[in-house]
Amino acid sequence: MKLYYFSEMPHHEFPDAEGDKYPSLRLELPNRFFDREKAAANYQRYLDEYEFADQAGFEGLMINEHHSTPSCSNVGVNMSAAILARTTRRAKILLLGNILPIEENPVKMAEQIAMADLISGGRVLSGFVRGVGVETWWSNVNPIHNRERFEECHDLILKCWTEPGPFRWEGRHYHFRHVNPWCLPLQKPHPPIWIPGTASPETAIWAGQRGYTYVPFLVPFDIARELFDYYRQGAAEAGRAVTPDNLGFLICAVTADTKAKAIEAGRHFVWRMGPTLRGPVEYFSPVGMRSRAGAQFALKARPRALSSMSYDELCDGHFIIAGTPDEVIERFARVQRELGIGHLLLEAQESRMDHPTTMRSIELMGEKVIPAVATL
Amino acid sequence: MPPREETISVGGIAVHTWVGGQGDPLLVLHGAGGNRGWRRWIERVAERFTVWAPTHPGFGRSGDADWMEGIDDLARFYLWFIDAARLRRPHVLGHSIGGWIAAEMAVMSPASMDKVVLVAPTGLKPETGEILDVFYYPPAQLVQMNVHDPKTIPEWDELFGRPPTPAELEIAVRNREMTARLTWKPYMHNPRLGPFLPRVTNPALIVWGREDRVVPAVCGEQYRRLLPNATLTVLDRCGHLPPIEQPDAFARLVVDFLSAPAATGSSSR
Repeated sequence: MKLYYFSEMPHHEFPDAEGDKYPSLRLELPNRFFDREKAAANYQRYLDEYEFADQAGFEGLMINEHHSTPSCSNVGVNMSAAILARTTRRAKILLLGNILPIEENPVKMAEQIAMADLISGGRVLSGFVRGVGVETWWSNVNPIHNRERFEECHDLILKCWTEPGPFRWEGRHYHFRHVNPWCLPLQKPHPPIWIPGTASPETAIWAGQRGYTYVPFLVPFDIARELFDYYRQGAAEAGRAVTPDNLGFLICAVTADTKAKAIEAGRHFVWRMGPTLRGPVEYFSPVGMRSRAGAQFALKARPRALSSMSYDELCDGHFIIAGTPDEVIERFARVQRELGIGHLLLEAQESRMDHPTTMRSIELMGEKVIPAVATL
Repeated sequence: MPPREETISVGGIAVHTWVGGQGDPLLVLHGAGGNRGWRRWIERVAERFTVWAPTHPGFGRSGDADWMEGIDDLARFYLWFIDAARLRRPHVLGHSIGGWIAAEMAVMSPASMDKVVLVAPTGLKPETGEILDVFYYPPAQLVQMNVHDPKTIPEWDELFGRPPTPAELEIAVRNREMTARLTWKPYMHNPRLGPFLPRVTNPALIVWGREDRVVPAVCGEQYRRLLPNATLTVLDRCGHLPPIEQPDAFARLVVDFLSAPAATGSSSR
């Protein structure tokens, strides 16, 4: 099993009591709480940590994108991909990912991902996501069209990468009369495509049909297994075999020299489970963004909101793994046994987890955990 | 005369429609909350007019229209509906987004209708203030924001006094989704509607609640200024749902307006 390092690049630089005054940290916390000086320093720090994770032996460096939220100051996944393409040497760069439904120009997106792939020497793993509702509000793209735009944007990007230009694209949501990108990915026919999942059976089936790597995020094991079954259903429809290499899973994880230190560090993940997910359902799932089937599955998938769970409960449910390297190895092995996955994505820094703690965790993962789980 | 329910096919879409009353035809176009059926105000108005109250495509029990993109599509659709149902130049009354539909129909084809009643219509960008983002709030909270004072509403218990059944919830979600499809961007208005409104010389009545927290009452002034033959009536102690909040006063206003001999407005049609 391969491990991936991920930081949301949080901006938890305001008094929590201030954040509590608003219905949600997303969309509503006024950006006067954005500290420019600290953000400038944090970007340097977070990018240093990514570079260290590259050196430590992680298979990949995962980056993502959110907007209008202190939980994530990575506001441009292709920008950070381009930086890491140049500053790292060996790890894959996993963009998970570009938010397709809110994109207005898929041709430009295809070009930018290709450019990152070229600069990195072909290390890009190109994830595509539907986004959470907050990004729908941020972009003001109609949530009713979310799935349609996701699929059409995907189709156009793939066409940019695989079919010779110039050509014309007249879809329902995208219209380009002269498509002829003069930037194509190094990997042929194109970078591998990854798709995350939280609750949508349609997305799992869709990814399975195409043989994309499918990665449920922070769901209970039984729900992940059910989503993998949908994935296998889609794969079977297309006559594709499913191997562990098609399946991944995302959790939060940190390790330290002692159990006490690790448990203390792991508490920082509670912030991303609770306060940063607090808010009216309309913010996270605006009308029409989810199909009825998806909405029903979401209710089942989350009988209890992550935000309602204690730190101990989050650890018991394997949403957070915090321990010494040996303990972490044992828990990762359990995840692998439960789910049969080939890729484990580690959200490995959060909230106010400090730089030394983060660096030591990366170092210990590289020295002890990565080699141990490589054989699983 | 008790109302009847009809299904009228327009362009392949089955339109569930309440029909009842006597007299000249009046087409009633509902708001984002959906077709609330044969309410008290309609009963009063139906004593003098034959009311046709269709459920918009994509709403309630009417057929789907996922291909529609905006309120102007519904306006074209209802001009077709007038022909299909052989209404022959009906009066048109619309509430909220229904009022916006009526205004779009009027600028497209003023000769297709007689008088126009616009009740707290969306469609214009307010000169001051903003139209409430109805998709940003939970439906239960939205009901409260829609009205001035629930205690004064005679049909409150019947309409909002109990939790919705699963079937009603399903319809409420459907109504909300179709509203989002039609009104998301530009939000609840059409920048190109205002310049066309002076074409509409039909007699027009605009009704607003002074305490409307959804669509600022200033929009009523804007509509009145742009429509050459319009009057504006503002109801005190009333929010965004005048037909529900003050059914008797509202019905009187409508009947008086529609019954009055038209002084102007026919010459240019």
